[in-house]
Amino acid sequence: MSVSELSDQPATTPTQATSGGVVGRSPWQLAWIRLRRDRVALVCAAFIGLLVLIAVLADPLSHWIGWSPIQQDRDTGTDINGLPVGPGHVHLLGTDQLGRDILVRLIYGTRVSLVVGVSAAVAAVLIGVIVGLCAGFLGPVVDSILARLMDVVLAFPFLLFAIALVTVVGPSELLEIGVIAFFSWAAVGRIVRGQTLAIREREYVEAARSLGAGNLRIMVIDVLPNLIAPVLVYVTLLIPVSIVFEATLSFLGVGIIPPTPSWGNMLDDAQQGGLYQVAWWFLAFPAAALVLTTLAFNLLGDSIRDALDPRTERLFAK
Amino acid sequence: MSLAGVVKHFPIRRGVIVKSVIGQVQAVDGVTLDIRHGETLGLVGETGCGKSTLARCMSRLHPLTAGRITFDGHDISRLPPRQMRPFRRDIQMIFQDPYGSLNPRRRVGSIIGDPFAIHGVADGLERRRRVQELMELVGLNPEHYNRFPSDFSGGQRQRIGVARALALRPKLIICDEPVSALDVSIQAQIINLLESLQSEFKLTYVFIAHDLSVVQHVSDRVAVMYLGKIVELADRDSLYGSPRHPYTAALLSAASVADPDRAAARRRIVLGGDVPSPIDPPPGCRFHPRCPKAQQLCTHSEPPLAAVLDDPPGHRTACHFPVGDGESLIDAVPGIEQTEEA
Repeated sequence: MSVSELSDQPATTPTQATSGGVVGRSPWQLAWIRLRRDRVALVCAAFIGLLVLIAVLADPLSHWIGWSPIQQDRDTGTDINGLPVGPGHVHLLGTDQLGRDILVRLIYGTRVSLVVGVSAAVAAVLIGVIVGLCAGFLGPVVDSILARLMDVVLAFPFLLFAIALVTVVGPSELLEIGVIAFFSWAAVGRIVRGQTLAIREREYVEAARSLGAGNLRIMVIDVLPNLIAPVLVYVTLLIPVSIVFEATLSFLGVGIIPPTPSWGNMLDDAQQGGLYQVAWWFLAFPAAALVLTTLAFNLLGDSIRDALDPRTERLFAK
Repeated sequence: MSLAGVVKHFPIRRGVIVKSVIGQVQAVDGVTLDIRHGETLGLVGETGCGKSTLARCMSRLHPLTAGRITFDGHDISRLPPRQMRPFRRDIQMIFQDPYGSLNPRRRVGSIIGDPFAIHGVADGLERRRRVQELMELVGLNPEHYNRFPSDFSGGQRQRIGVARALALRPKLIICDEPVSALDVSIQAQIINLLESLQSEFKLTYVFIAHDLSVVQHVSDRVAVMYLGKIVELADRDSLYGSPRHPYTAALLSAASVADPDRAAARRRIVLGGDVPSPIDPPPGCRFHPRCPKAQQLCTHSEPPLAAVLDDPPGHRTACHFPVGDGESLIDAVPGIEQTEEA
């Protein structure tokens, strides 16, 4: 049997011949090598790295620029009619309706978007993986209960629910993360459940059972490692969804509480009274930040998926 | 290990929310069998006759529908998982698919070390040492401890499976078609390995295969299965020398012969029709719709598994009209209407 035949299996490691002989590489090493060759992935990763840097360094950056995110510039921030001023040397990206610096607010908005987006996505994936794994593995009774639960969550009118909940409890960042995670985990759960159902029937699970392994051990040691690839891809695709979700909630006034800036409530401010018609920068920059960030995460997620699945590479090989 | 009337039916369910059972796949339907200490019992039959299901019943991967399995005097047929665990150390399995039976995401050392980890036998350096010992024992390079299953060829992977099964020094190893997925040259290597391990560790094997020559080579006794039942059980030489059940005779006549002159001179018994569905097996003798010797009796009365003609008690056949020594089935004419001719 030749090496190329062997590598038709998913997640196999074709041994690579080098001048020094044959080097065995783990599936993860191979995926990493493929990912590093992908230019789009590199650009997106660099952009996301930059965003993270900006979010972490928001305080020194705003200090260096000279404006705080909630500081209203009463002298040069608005023109004689009280309208925002456009991009210029005092305010690089212009100001908003209260004379606050858009650039600094965007920087702080990055922090909110990343913190809420990433933690909501991670929380959703954790719940989704646990529930999906139990549903797929623990037999038809548990499965039918959990699968129906996921159906119910997916059937929820999430915006209405979010607005109602925030009205009752009062808005906060933690609540926003909770709401996003609550409405995202079920989709992950379904994917994990499907994968688990397939893996459950594999012979190596039977082998573990015949050795006397219990359910928990099989789920953690035999099933979970085979789920990491699809789950990792899903996390990178869920982060941009959560960021947009956050922006939506803030836009509707049920997310981040003003005056704390987020891209969503900046967009909301911009459309209040049709301000964006006279101050395009007010709408354009937060929107661009949102679009670029979402795009970068999505493209990176696609690249990771391609890197983890050797078969797609073969389809597009030169 | 002994099996008494082991039955495994898989219910067929229909319906989305309210599921109703609309039928049973009678995969294994009443198998009684004694496996003697230190022997190799071959189990042959066509695809779908219930061999693998029977193997999974023996290793308690499937719960039994009915019947009893005793091991070393203990009834293990209905033990809950926790009480079954000590017995799992003594009963191990080797699987058919060397690709499917090893987790692709785990390193070989951790796969072979699994039995030690699960039963808390050894850990850390001690486990590593014992795993490498096992790897050497089955002919693998112990330095490949940290490689992934995909770095190995099919034969090497099967050796990994053998090492894993051997780790806890079991008494009984159930080999579910351990060589069917391998090249012929590799098959011989694995069979030789299994034989040398058997004499070294006094192992008992249940050896499942559909390749009759492999079974003839390894087995002390052979059981032939058809549609969930054992139709003939005998010492190897007795079974291959004088098959009593028409089905066994047909199987043996269909096996390939290496000598072209003999192969040309031989006439095969061709069975008509297909194996009937195990959902709705024929009444009486399950083989009667295809049997060249079938008579009216066979359609309603099920023959018991017993010694026939002047066979020794060890050679048992479930047939009303067993094949005599030297009798040819080629020209046999059934006494009842058969399913379509092949």
